[in-house]
Amino acid sequence: MSASLTINLKRASKVYHEGEIIAGVVVVDTSTDLRHEGLTLTMEGSVNLQLSSKNTGIFDAFSNSIRPINLINTAIELASAGKIPVGVTEIPFEMPLVSRPNAVGPGLLETYHGVFVNVMYTLKCGMKRSFLNKPLNTSCQFFVQYKPQERAPPKPVRCEITPATLRAAGGGTRANMPAFQLYAEVDSTVCALDAPLTGKIRVDECSAPIKSIELQLVRLETCGHSEGYSKDATEIQNIQVGEGDVCRGRDIPLHMVLPRLFTCPTTATPHFKIEFELNIAVIFEDDYLVTENFPILLLRSR
Amino acid sequence: MPVYYKWTSVPKQKERHDYPSLDISNHPLKVEVLNMKLGANKSFIESLQKWSSPFEELDPLLRFEQLNVENDIGPVENNENTINYPKVWNAKRTGILNKYTTGEKLTIVSSFLPGGEKTLLRQVSNLNEKVKHRLEQLDDFDESSVRKTMGLSQQEFVTKIHMLDDEIKKAWDTEQRVKAFKIAIQCSKLLSDINVMQFYPSKFVLISDVLRNFGALVYDRLKKKSFGNADIKLQDIDSSTVPESARETCQNWMFKMASIRELLPRLYMEMSLLKCYAFISKSEIKPTIERLTRMIRGIGNPLVAIYVRVYLCNVASNLFGKESECYFNDNLKEFLEEYQQIFSQNMAKKFGTQLLTADQYLSLYIPAIDWLLYGTLNYTECKHTLLEDMLQKCETTENSELLLCCCVCAFDSTNVIKKSTALLEIIRNQSDHMVLLSQVLASVGEHLCHAENYCQLPSEALSQISWKIATNMKSTASFLQVLEPWLQFACTQLSTQHINMILRGTIRYMIKCGKPAEDYCLQIHSVIKRMLKSIPDVEEVFLMDAFMPLVELVQSSNARTIMAKTVLTIFFERYNSVQIEDHIVISSLMRLCCILHDSINAVTVEDENKACAELINKFIHAVSYQDDLEQQLNFYVECRSAFIKLDAVLIALVHAVNALAARADMSQGRWLQRACAAYCFVTVPSLQCPLTKAQLYLLGGQVALLNCCIGQAETNLKTLVGLIPEIPQFVQEDGQNKPTHDKVVGLLSNFLSTLLILPDNMDSNSKAYILSGFIKTMERIHWRKTDPLYYTLLLRTLDLLCQMTQETYAYHIDGVLSNDELYGSEEEFIETIENHATNICQELLVVLKSLGDAKETKKQYNLALELFWRIVRRGKLQETSMTSLATNLWALAQKIQDSNNKFARALLSVLEKDQSAACRRLLDKINLC
Repeated sequence: MSASLTINLKRASKVYHEGEIIAGVVVVDTSTDLRHEGLTLTMEGSVNLQLSSKNTGIFDAFSNSIRPINLINTAIELASAGKIPVGVTEIPFEMPLVSRPNAVGPGLLETYHGVFVNVMYTLKCGMKRSFLNKPLNTSCQFFVQYKPQERAPPKPVRCEITPATLRAAGGGTRANMPAFQLYAEVDSTVCALDAPLTGKIRVDECSAPIKSIELQLVRLETCGHSEGYSKDATEIQNIQVGEGDVCRGRDIPLHMVLPRLFTCPTTATPHFKIEFELNIAVIFEDDYLVTENFPILLLRSR
Repeated sequence: MPVYYKWTSVPKQKERHDYPSLDISNHPLKVEVLNMKLGANKSFIESLQKWSSPFEELDPLLRFEQLNVENDIGPVENNENTINYPKVWNAKRTGILNKYTTGEKLTIVSSFLPGGEKTLLRQVSNLNEKVKHRLEQLDDFDESSVRKTMGLSQQEFVTKIHMLDDEIKKAWDTEQRVKAFKIAIQCSKLLSDINVMQFYPSKFVLISDVLRNFGALVYDRLKKKSFGNADIKLQDIDSSTVPESARETCQNWMFKMASIRELLPRLYMEMSLLKCYAFISKSEIKPTIERLTRMIRGIGNPLVAIYVRVYLCNVASNLFGKESECYFNDNLKEFLEEYQQIFSQNMAKKFGTQLLTADQYLSLYIPAIDWLLYGTLNYTECKHTLLEDMLQKCETTENSELLLCCCVCAFDSTNVIKKSTALLEIIRNQSDHMVLLSQVLASVGEHLCHAENYCQLPSEALSQISWKIATNMKSTASFLQVLEPWLQFACTQLSTQHINMILRGTIRYMIKCGKPAEDYCLQIHSVIKRMLKSIPDVEEVFLMDAFMPLVELVQSSNARTIMAKTVLTIFFERYNSVQIEDHIVISSLMRLCCILHDSINAVTVEDENKACAELINKFIHAVSYQDDLEQQLNFYVECRSAFIKLDAVLIALVHAVNALAARADMSQGRWLQRACAAYCFVTVPSLQCPLTKAQLYLLGGQVALLNCCIGQAETNLKTLVGLIPEIPQFVQEDGQNKPTHDKVVGLLSNFLSTLLILPDNMDSNSKAYILSGFIKTMERIHWRKTDPLYYTLLLRTLDLLCQMTQETYAYHIDGVLSNDELYGSEEEFIETIENHATNICQELLVVLKSLGDAKETKKQYNLALELFWRIVRRGKLQETSMTSLATNLWALAQKIQDSNNKFARALLSVLEKDQSAACRRLLDKINLC
């Protein structure tokens, strides 16, 4: 005697925009007739914030998680108390994806998985059962994306990196730094999330052999409010674009596909901020590292 | 039944048969000299193969290979104009695997193979140390921690790669798709390791196969997800009809691939999955190929980079066929931009520490560049312009030899020939520091060998330049490598004097280089082979004074033998006319044959002997001094002394001398014929096989008889008689024991027919001297009475004896006084003969009896009838003893088998037609019994 509960969404990608209707079926698979006290479906969406241990003051030390911010929470009853016959039963459902009227901010936020900030949406289905039986529960995540905007005009940036520019920026320089001249270009610092990030880098001159050229995507998460907040930069992904001592004077393309879930449009709300940065790193054979940082703005656009 | 029957032969009264006859101009058995040319030979073999091919079973291993190829290529339609790239690559692939091998120890790093020490890869990363440490600790617990297996031999390495391939399939089939993906990534990572560089091309081939298989797995699954089991080709996939779930899966693969940290595995994986873009958007594939082409620039190591390009082109050509050629072109251009990376200090250091020489190192690039050039050439409309561009590039860039080498190999001969002068100019300018010099020069030479005669080529100048460059080479092996095609070029385009000069120069170089010529024996061998095959008139080689010294340059006897054998073989394959008359050629060939002959010793295998003998025989048959027969005989004498070890040659010599004797003109007196006869008589005893000896004695006797040298004929035949007991029952032929039976019957029958015309020796006091000797010998040999050989010979002898009693024999030789004229049917002679006949008849009766005892009824029956027939035809039936013998024989035959037998009926019907009184009487008697 066993029964299982699963939620199958109609859309395989499980990606929805605000205002759309989430449609799917709840599948009940049971080996015997199943008596139950009601089947409910709940849609939940929330922002979970966490303060990093580095930044929390002594006062907050005992609780470094802030109360989650609720974005959406609706429930419907799929079936009233009754009996489900043996076999597979599919119960279709439809739920509109609309934010709570009195929600914070502009409405629903995009799904995002970070270190200190998490935006998650789930559908939960629960079956209440009689006194002796455990209730059956299942859940299913779905993803929310903004409706694509018009594509913003590209904002290219270019920079040259030499020992002199590093010194000017006040970075820690070594005494016997090799002579090098690098040229890097990012096609646009305003990037669409579903398009790859592109650009190029050129090693015009470098007296030391290069070990690797890498592209690092970094998130900047800020949590809290005016009194106390934490700001942390963590790596999302690191992509190698050059391996070994690359040819001098050749444009090496930069190409990075932005990972899903771990990126979202750059967001700023009263309680938290999610921003992104791009680091271009050139690592020499002796593990000496030269980096250049570009803040980037991510948008959901066509 | 009387025990003793006196044999009396009936003299035939001038009975002349008029046989139908016609006048002919030449002898029907005259040997038609068939000169099989090499060309004709080949086409003959080809046509044979063509006919036999449907019956031939393919080698099972080969069949698997072919099946494989067919499977791989399967759906690609073969149009006339398009090139089947996968097929071409497959051919190259095998070449690479065979060429780039190593004895060094290899290392494999993988988490999916059993064994190996546990190590952690230190990745290039800027993670802080603390995090790294934690991750390492985590890794320790992870069962899929990376293991490094070191000290693998090449074979072990290949096995491991195949294991990984299987592992991928296994993981895939058990729904562990991420694991399969991980293994594939690890495989591609192996390609960033350039330790043991000389194996790299092969490693690439192996791993690219694994990756291709993985790509196919993903593609097939997506296809199945989209269209079920329907057989849909890539071209027909419409991404808008792909169901969302399949597209989602595909997208997931792509995201997963895009987040691979390291560049090389990411590139390889994206290429492997390139096909799958069809499920998302087909129009994305081509821009992706272009993007990947550019991204490969990020690979700093030139060797790794060019093989990534090769893989990209392979993937592209699998997808687009003809349309993919532009990507070959793009990648070649990219490669040329990065060309100098190959010669960077860094790489020099690396191949230096791996103990590779510069030319070995450069040769690692050749298959890759070849492949890129191959596609580019098909892409380019005007190859000539492309070649000009390339050459210009070669002229202007540093270290252009690798490019030059590949260009020369890749372009077609017509274009290379057109630019040959410019090419040689470039080569000459850079010859001082080129490490691939010999390869480049040799392949230019190869192209020039294809030049048609009518091409207006400054052949002489070309040859001279190349000669100058070649002679300055330090390595003898390279020199010979270059010499090979250029000598062929000289042979086809230049005069004999030029070729001779080159040969002389070669000898000079070989002597000057100070190394023993033995080391280069194989190369010299192939040079000479090439030369012989390409020179228009093969006889000319012997007219060059430098040729023979070159042939004998290597002094070791083994090498000389091989060389001599090759020269002779090719010479006779290509030699056009039937006869060799030139004295220089003859003496050169004689020298070569002597070398060949001298190499034979007690341990030489039989096949080898046979091959040598065949070649020498060809030589002997070909030499002709026209009308100078004495010279010809002298030549044969010389040959005999030179080739004494080979029986087959001696036999050929005897035949040749007999032919010579038959050719000799009577008008000059008989001395030559006698000399020939003496030659044969002296030569034959040194042979091994008694049967052959006997045959040659008979032949010698016949020829002597033909030339009216009766004394010689008699000696020959007498020796033959003496030899009969020595003929064994079996002879070895092709390693099998073959019975000599039929041969002996044939030989002795022939011998008996010859005896008919041989005049008796008047000095001896016995009549029919040789024949008597023969009969005595027959008695002396204890042949089994029931042996068909024995009684057949008795019957034949009986035939001869009957014939000998005739007044005029059936045939004569002009000028030879046979016994019929010699004795004129003298009574004493006839009596002797009939005595013999009686004895033989008696013996036959004994045989009949013993056949009966041995229950050989069939043989007995036949023999009885044979004898019966001889009595009827040849015996004097008027004599009572003959008639009664005949009747008895018939009765015996009837007793064994009734007269309905075909043979008996035929005899009877003839007998019935005969009107003579004796016959009638016999018939009556027969009918009585």
